[in-house]
Amino acid sequence: MTKRYDSIVVGGGHNGLVCAAYLARAGRSVLVLERRHVLGGAAVTEELHPGFKYSVCSYVVSLLRPEIIRDLQLPRFGLEILPLECSFTPQLDGPGLVRWPDGDKTRREIAQFSQRDAEIYPEFGREMMKVGRMVKPILEMTPPDPSSLRPGNLLDMLKLGRMFGQLTESERILQAKMFTMSAIDFLDEWFEGDLLKATLGVSGIIGTFQGVRSPGTAYVLLHHYMGEIDGAFRAWGLSKGGTGQISNAIADAARHFGAEIRTEASVDEVMVRGGRVRGVVLEDGTEIQADTVVSGLDPHRTFLKLCNSSDLDAEFLGSIKRFKMRGSSGKVNLALDRFPEFTCRPGDGLHVRGDVAIAPSVDYLERAFDEAKYGDFSQRPFMNVVIPSLVDPSVAPPGKHVMSIFVQYAPYALKEGPENWPQKRQAFGDAVIDTLAEYCPTLKESILHRQVLTPWDLEQKIGLTEGNIFHGELSLEQLFFLRPTPLWSRYKTPIPGLWMCASGTHPGGGIMGAPGANAARRILKTR
Amino acid sequence: MQYDLIIIGGGHNGLTCAALQASRGRKVLVLERRGILGGLAAGEEFHPGYRTVGVLHDTSSVRSSVIDKLGLESHGLKRRSDEAAVFAPQKDGPGLLLFDDPVRACDELAAHSASDADRYVEFRAFLARIGSYLRGILGEIPPPISPRGAGQFLALLRKGWALRSLGRETMYECLRIGPTCVQDWLDEWFETDVLKAALASPALLGTWSGPGSAGTTALALMQICTAGRGIVGGPAALVDALVLACESRGVELRTNAGVVRILTDAGRVQGVELADGSGVEGGLVASSVDPRQTFLDLIRPLDLPGDLGSGIENWRCRGTTAKVNLALDGPLEFSCRPGAVFDTIRVGENLEEIERAFDSVKYRRLPVSPHIDIHMPTVLDPGLAPAGHHVASMLVHFVPHDLEAGWGDTQRADLLEVCLNRLAEVAPECRDRIVGYQVVTPADLERELSLTGGHIHHGEHGLDQLLSFRPQATCARYATPLEGLVLCGSGSHPGGGITCAPGELAASTMS
Repeated sequence: MTKRYDSIVVGGGHNGLVCAAYLARAGRSVLVLERRHVLGGAAVTEELHPGFKYSVCSYVVSLLRPEIIRDLQLPRFGLEILPLECSFTPQLDGPGLVRWPDGDKTRREIAQFSQRDAEIYPEFGREMMKVGRMVKPILEMTPPDPSSLRPGNLLDMLKLGRMFGQLTESERILQAKMFTMSAIDFLDEWFEGDLLKATLGVSGIIGTFQGVRSPGTAYVLLHHYMGEIDGAFRAWGLSKGGTGQISNAIADAARHFGAEIRTEASVDEVMVRGGRVRGVVLEDGTEIQADTVVSGLDPHRTFLKLCNSSDLDAEFLGSIKRFKMRGSSGKVNLALDRFPEFTCRPGDGLHVRGDVAIAPSVDYLERAFDEAKYGDFSQRPFMNVVIPSLVDPSVAPPGKHVMSIFVQYAPYALKEGPENWPQKRQAFGDAVIDTLAEYCPTLKESILHRQVLTPWDLEQKIGLTEGNIFHGELSLEQLFFLRPTPLWSRYKTPIPGLWMCASGTHPGGGIMGAPGANAARRILKTR
Repeated sequence: MQYDLIIIGGGHNGLTCAALQASRGRKVLVLERRGILGGLAAGEEFHPGYRTVGVLHDTSSVRSSVIDKLGLESHGLKRRSDEAAVFAPQKDGPGLLLFDDPVRACDELAAHSASDADRYVEFRAFLARIGSYLRGILGEIPPPISPRGAGQFLALLRKGWALRSLGRETMYECLRIGPTCVQDWLDEWFETDVLKAALASPALLGTWSGPGSAGTTALALMQICTAGRGIVGGPAALVDALVLACESRGVELRTNAGVVRILTDAGRVQGVELADGSGVEGGLVASSVDPRQTFLDLIRPLDLPGDLGSGIENWRCRGTTAKVNLALDGPLEFSCRPGAVFDTIRVGENLEEIERAFDSVKYRRLPVSPHIDIHMPTVLDPGLAPAGHHVASMLVHFVPHDLEAGWGDTQRADLLEVCLNRLAEVAPECRDRIVGYQVVTPADLERELSLTGGHIHHGEHGLDQLLSFRPQATCARYATPLEGLVLCGSGSHPGGGITCAPGELAASTMS
């Protein structure tokens, strides 16, 4: 008979670890079980080529909630965020566009394309920050249930109503627009320059199976604007030592508060007896008992794989099956023996020490989406490229570099079927390299090693259903009190004692930690 | 004052508003730029001896309350005795004749899928459950963004309560599916491609969105829940009855009277100026033309209050619909149903084909395989064409207003060609039957019917341009910040199509 825990957290991704740390901090006995040999889930660093440390999946951070950093004392456990200050959109037949840390310099860049846009740009930033601030309190909130008349719930609804009531009319209109418009329709109201709109618009599609012209993407744009490092809005950063360092710091904090963490411990089943959770069963048959089980996996895996369907009613299972996963992105990681020059802006200066977006026009992005819509990967994809070794030399041998390429679109559901991804993997990798090489002609000859991750691989290796990096599409009908299903959006599940704590719950994906922290708060309140 | 109310534009909404206001004893003048009344609902002879029943041809969503209040039946209007069935032809397959009534639809559906025939019963039951709630929303003045006073708050709460009274599951289902794309929603219900295409089609009419665009389920729900029996003789017959209703109430109807300016003085509307330079004084002016024209063309920028102008500048009205009218020496016959004649036909094999047709407008091209919504008014009303001959009224999606190459004779010929190519795939003999035709591009609609962007709904039906945001939050309740100016056209809630609802609701705000 093994030890009995207050809580078992299934999955050692960043949200599972955050939840575990908060539970342990409150004095609960907590066990985290991670299937892989390494912690972090999609926030991992792995040395896949000697001397080169890849941030295998997730590669930048901005959304990690500052109160989590404070509460868990993450800097003490090794968290160090290096700011990414620039954003560069190269062109094949033009100078490209760089947004610098210096506002005046950015305005001059934008003015090359449109004087009018340059004048409006600072105001746009202020407006976005304003909406970001309005939405922020919602991130920390457990979604209320608008259908319930219980006093506690009515109070939550009232709070929400008051929050909305305090906005001015123009702020309400702006908010309504952000939730319903497409990124490009929204940006069209502000700007005329195509390259600027493409550059800004990509924030609206990252991780979603939507195009920049799809309604609802303006919200995702905002989702990416809400990032916050040291209180500065819209600041992105890299974790020193790779993204895995974030997970390691959270894990160390959790251990410090008393949590136990086991790797290579794959959970096979959530044990339910007499209508409530009793613990988990591992793949090797070991049973571990606990009063509560918290799933850090996505809703599909949690309910369709870990749970026995006889423990859940058919209607609930139907609503989980309807929850859209639809991974749309892939990842290519490269080890390079030298810096790859961008033809339109040579040198390894500040302009490449941020993220580089291959987004030369709005139509380019939309065409990339069109191909995916019909079940094929984009031949000329949108890419978000980061060269972390320029900012953090510890991740590559001296003079050498790692390059992280986030690629969209790579639809999980290929028209030939997702199981055909392994045969298409290299062709996909080639399309990425070929496209990027148009901007960096020396790229191909400097590649020492390449790792290509398709959505199929993300599912098989990392455990993300259909390769969705956010544990479910960030579309309006899957947010807030509808995430992951209308009646179960408050971290609780229909099985007493089973909870959810990951990106498939409010407020959704990204290295934010908010679902983990919100879930822990609810669990602690409940007993 | 010469008139109590001047209405700009003699389309179906302008006429509705005029007749309803005249019923209250107002002295009303309607000013129509064209030589005929009716706007998008006006019938015209497009080829000697052949008439259309309007640019738009669907009258199934006309508000019964308008017909009743104005006694249109006493002015000759007749509802169809039977619900219209939609025929969706297939290249290889039996096609589908789809009735709203699941019992009548059963056999046709079962030929494609037994489970879809069963699901259709549930589908219709779900729609019946939420229908009255949705009709309530669409048939009322939209709530204000910033409610003031207890009355407006209570009205909002009542709306919420009405939704909650549908039951917890149904309430959540409405909230969940509203913002989704119609493709996802229909995929949850059915497996038959041609059924899904036929059901999605009306929601996409006129919009700059494909079946994969978020928010189109809300449009589909709006359309399906308001559809009933159409009007014999189509929109043109509706206009005839509305004109009689106006005349019997003493409304003055003036054609060839284009308004060039709304006259204001000290922040209040005083009347209008006509193209011939003459002025007409009115206590109130109601505009049924689209919001961009109303605010940006007819009003001097200096007279526009606040930031209304900049808001309207961002009003999206990119037209995506063209019209092709065919004069035929016999009915359209479909190879999958030899010998049968249908009056409502939607040509689209599956949602992917419609989505691909939509892709073309994004890049300002003609679709290779357009989605075609056909009405043959001559099936019910043979008098519109010579004996034995027919008229096919075809709304063609998706055709960009701002075609990359511009609209010239070549492009119009190309448009006709892609339509006939697609039609010939299901009705191979259609070309041989043609005795005349008319091609109306979105650019023609803009020029001839004064529709900005050629948009048949006066502005996109996007979630951010509906309800309390149509056309702007400050004028979504028909009254505008410019005192004395009211909106009464499709650019206001609940939007475009032949419903007469904007005209009716606008009239209800003018006490």
